[in-house]
Amino acid sequence: MSARGRRTSQRRVRSRRAGRWVLTPCVTAGFALLVGPLVLAAQTPGTREAMQALRFEPIVFEPPVPERHEISSVRVLLLEDRALPLVTIYARFRGGYGLFDREWYAPALGLPALLRYGGTTELSPDSVDTAIDYYAIQTSFGTGGGSVSASVNTLTEHLPTAMELWGGLLTRPGFDREQIELWRDRELESVRRRLDDPGSLAFAEFNRLMYGDHPVGWAMSAEDLDPELLTPERFREMHRRIFCRDNLILGVTGDVSWGDVRPLLERLIDSIAPCYETLPQSPVPEIRREPGVFLVERDLEQAVIVMAHPASVRLADDPRYYAATIGNSILGGGGFSSRLLARVRTEEGYAYSASSLWTMPRRHDGVVGAVTRTRPENAIPAIELILTTMEELTAAPPTEAELRTAVDGVVNGFVFNFEEPGQIVSRMMLYVAEDMPEDWLERYLDGIQRVSPADVRRAFADHLRPDAMTILVVGDPDRVGRAALESLGPVTVLELD
Amino acid sequence: MSSRVVRTAIGIAAITVLAAQPLAAQETPGERLPVHELTLENGMRFLVLEREGAPTVSFVVEFAVGGVHERLGTTGIAHLLEHLLFKGTTSIGTRDPEAERQLFARMDAAHDTLLRARADGDDERAAMLASRIKALEDTARVYVEPNELDRILTEAGARGLNATTSSEATTYFVELPANRAELWFLLESDRMRDPVFREFYAERRVVTEERRMRVETSPAGMLHEAHLAAAFTVHPYGVPVVGYMSDLETLARRDVASYYRRFYGPNNAVIAVVGDIDSDEIEAWAHEYFGPLPRGEEPPPVLVREPPQLGERRVTLEWDAEPRLRIGWHVPSSLRADAPAVAILASILTGGRTSRLHRRLVVEDRLATGVFASTGPGNRFPQLFQIDAIPRSPHGTEELEAAIYDEIERLAATGPSESELERVRNQVAAGNVRRISSNLGLAFQLADSETLEGDWRATFRVAEELQAVTADDVRRIVAEYLVRTNRTVAVLGRREEP
Repeated sequence: MSARGRRTSQRRVRSRRAGRWVLTPCVTAGFALLVGPLVLAAQTPGTREAMQALRFEPIVFEPPVPERHEISSVRVLLLEDRALPLVTIYARFRGGYGLFDREWYAPALGLPALLRYGGTTELSPDSVDTAIDYYAIQTSFGTGGGSVSASVNTLTEHLPTAMELWGGLLTRPGFDREQIELWRDRELESVRRRLDDPGSLAFAEFNRLMYGDHPVGWAMSAEDLDPELLTPERFREMHRRIFCRDNLILGVTGDVSWGDVRPLLERLIDSIAPCYETLPQSPVPEIRREPGVFLVERDLEQAVIVMAHPASVRLADDPRYYAATIGNSILGGGGFSSRLLARVRTEEGYAYSASSLWTMPRRHDGVVGAVTRTRPENAIPAIELILTTMEELTAAPPTEAELRTAVDGVVNGFVFNFEEPGQIVSRMMLYVAEDMPEDWLERYLDGIQRVSPADVRRAFADHLRPDAMTILVVGDPDRVGRAALESLGPVTVLELD
Repeated sequence: MSSRVVRTAIGIAAITVLAAQPLAAQETPGERLPVHELTLENGMRFLVLEREGAPTVSFVVEFAVGGVHERLGTTGIAHLLEHLLFKGTTSIGTRDPEAERQLFARMDAAHDTLLRARADGDDERAAMLASRIKALEDTARVYVEPNELDRILTEAGARGLNATTSSEATTYFVELPANRAELWFLLESDRMRDPVFREFYAERRVVTEERRMRVETSPAGMLHEAHLAAAFTVHPYGVPVVGYMSDLETLARRDVASYYRRFYGPNNAVIAVVGDIDSDEIEAWAHEYFGPLPRGEEPPPVLVREPPQLGERRVTLEWDAEPRLRIGWHVPSSLRADAPAVAILASILTGGRTSRLHRRLVVEDRLATGVFASTGPGNRFPQLFQIDAIPRSPHGTEELEAAIYDEIERLAATGPSESELERVRNQVAAGNVRRISSNLGLAFQLADSETLEGDWRATFRVAEELQAVTADDVRRIVAEYLVRTNRTVAVLGRREEP
């Protein structure tokens, strides 16, 4: 079997910092990973000693680098991979529900589904489905708040047919009325069922509390799904504003050369018009700052708990960003090695899952907090334990050992960023789309290795305020304890319509 | 205008060509994989596959043990054991195993007394004993290196360290940078040699929270559990793998220990190693680290048979949630001759947007927002062909049920068309390629196939059997199995206000 990606020059790069071998980024060439023996508390003989005696050969690996091309000013990233007779084409368009007013929320969210299901100007929805199912082509269409992504995966032998079909869906959508109605039916049913899953209900309500009338705080409602807002004309307008050439970046992976795929991509790009406007940035949210306790009354065997407050750390090549990232891993983002899961789950057995969250968007503030779910009687003790754990990290730095676990995990696991060609190309497409430095991953690797325990303490002291949390509990107040809940602060009961 | 004609013509021409050429007449790509097989003297089986690519390696360890090896009263034990196997050994996860062991004896004795107090209705004494167990476990924590196994692997750069328990298999998995492969051998052989079930009572509470999350606060989870319990009256497929709450509250550490001894011998394990590794080196480590483990007990066979169902069974769940429907028919095990036709049937009914039930229920009649056919809850024993559907308001489950039966009768009367079968066959052929793309996914398939059928190639050979299924085969199994007397219907409906 041939290589996935390419392993050409075997250059070894070494450097040493703080007593351990580290990976040195080497942007255009390869890198080598050299890590010394693990240092462990060695009171008990046997396995730990055997572990210290292990020596690991350095990894010598040249990560595959996508080729860069351009067709009519559209950037295309290509990573050949001949391991299997499969090809995937990716398209990413700038533009999502976060860039438009609320009246466009449903059309923007529905756009990916309707591109796939709404047929084309030549083919009925049924003909499209028949062809896709028949050729066993896989497509995906999705959107985040700021972009729409689509991909097609096919056996190499069907690539021209797949591109013809997928290109038609992207560039000549039919927005069939019946399919719009079907999509609307499904969405209305989801709205009707939104109370059925306490986890997603809690997140939706929490986002609304924190972000208010900002795209992050929006959740689909029956008003958003008014048929007058969902005409084919409105979908076409949404499509025209997003699916234009200047918003597009393309990616290709798999069993195809540039020479073979280029004509297919040219044909696709020729059928996409240049943009007639530059879409705005998404609005800057005004995130709720006042602490508060909120309750959604649900008679359930478990209470869902979400808490957070705003935090100003942004995603940037900045020591504060790296310190916050490592800090979050130590607090509750790093699974079993983090403090929240160790306390809430391992020690107390309160919950199956407990984690911190710290969002760090590039252009505006995010939030820092925690999430768990536990039987109602344990909700207050679990909240108090989470707050105490947070307080400890604002007061004292983490141990060297905790820091090492968080950093070594990233450094030693760095090769996992290059496992799949699709992952490499998608990441580069993101960097291009977001104007991020193309060596961002290497900068990140370098940045997190410079974080000290004092940096982490400073990040928490500056940005984490356990006494300023907005706390939402979805659960049964009689079992949680109304008085105990009041002890956290005045309680506001949220009425769900 | 002309371009439209051309485009449509491309599709039709290609379809004709495809139909003329069977897609998988020869060995599938999976069967051609150069897998090295190794069986140690203690019976442990290894499947090793070198693949070029990023320098990573995937490890999957599968034990042929799961929910089917449980009995009422100790349900959930296979899954609890799976959790406890991350707690360490006599060397990993501890500062003083002997001191821990002495505390275990005291807390376990308190637990035995607690169960008797509960049986006697002495709540006060039970609460006092629960506090004592908690205090002893807090004392024991002085000797614990919490989550050390996880920490060692995390620092080594591991990804996806986890495990899963099903009705008939328990599977442990992790991915590592390829140069750390030997670390895995050291840790995993240590874990199999002498695990310590520390933090037992706290972990048992964790599992009760997992049950609350997956079942007791989930309409789909509740309906699934009620449905299987009604469909299987004798066979353990009717018992939830996560366990019943009252069993989770009484399981004892010694139950888990004896279960471990019975089922976790090396002779009951299959290990798949897939990645950028040297298979000679892997085989040498297999001998070095796992070779000294003594052969374990031969697990007793599961001979329980579900008696034939003699009439439709219906179960209704009243719940504070929107309605759902689940229908199951008894069908043979995945290892039996009819299994490929059953798999094709699932695809014809709900595989893709052109499938029969999707078209009828979602698109044409708009009764449902989704419909999904599958087989389960296991593979090894006679199982269910099951359909899950979500009605769309104002339509209820009755209308949905009637439409499903109507489509099944039509299929029984006329059988699938040749183009329907052709579509499914093409999907199988493409699946043959897609399924071998990821190392971890491949390791799972190898281990699973070897565990279930004693042959890692069997899972790939299924493709040929699927290709051979005819319209008559499908018609016959529909007529034979998808009949009223053989079905169990579970309906979740909104609780009526009193």
